[in-house]
Amino acid sequence: MIAIPFQKENMDRSSILSKLKVIVANYSHDKDALEYLSESTDFIKDLKINSANLVDVVLDVEEEFDIEIDNLAMERMLNVSAAIEIITDKLKAK
Amino acid sequence: MIGNDIVDLRQAALESNWRRKGYLNKLFTKNEQQWILEASNPGQMVWLLWSMKEAAYKIYSRRKTWRAFAPLKLICKTLEIKEELAIGSVECESHTFFSQTMLTAQFIHTIATEQHPMQAITVKITGYNPTDTSYRNTDPATVSHHGRYLALAYV
Repeated sequence: MIAIPFQKENMDRSSILSKLKVIVANYSHDKDALEYLSESTDFIKDLKINSANLVDVVLDVEEEFDIEIDNLAMERMLNVSAAIEIITDKLKAK
Repeated sequence: MIGNDIVDLRQAALESNWRRKGYLNKLFTKNEQQWILEASNPGQMVWLLWSMKEAAYKIYSRRKTWRAFAPLKLICKTLEIKEELAIGSVECESHTFFSQTMLTAQFIHTIATEQHPMQAITVKITGYNPTDTSYRNTDPATVSHHGRYLALAYV
């Protein structure tokens, strides 16, 4: 019975992940890393996203999820898992 | 310690739309945005300020083993442009870095240092070939590549 909310949580993470994948695909310079995107994927080291495009990722995420990413959150938005944490937190706070 | 950053202006124009809503606010302080607004070539000013921040970040992140996307913590404090050369300073958490930027129609290249006046630095800018990593054997103090260009600096 506890498994139901747990599963829902998992589904949410995976649906956030798939939306995120669509966003980062626009800026990634590494097709393989994009194909094997996981929570541990780093935006700069793995996807080879140019640092000036990180701000586009942040703006796209804000638009897609209708949230506002403050500067403190942006500072740590360097990989998929941090991005998912931030999106989840901001969605909860809505 | 020194840091550098190169911006291929053609690549930047292809990859980034700095006029996008919200873009400048996330990257630049109010004062920096004022400089951009007042510049005769705002696009050049965007990438000049950006490369100053990136070059300073390279030093500070290595010194502090700090990794963050915090463009607003790297604050361009002073800037003086004389034709193709821009001299400035960048502050990060009360540390000051000094910058020298070469401005051309094709690219913008910044060197940042902790020393003022700057030590003697040799800069080498060439075409970038991702499969050629032989430059690593030349032991550069800092490396940057973007679009068509590879920039190496030696002390």
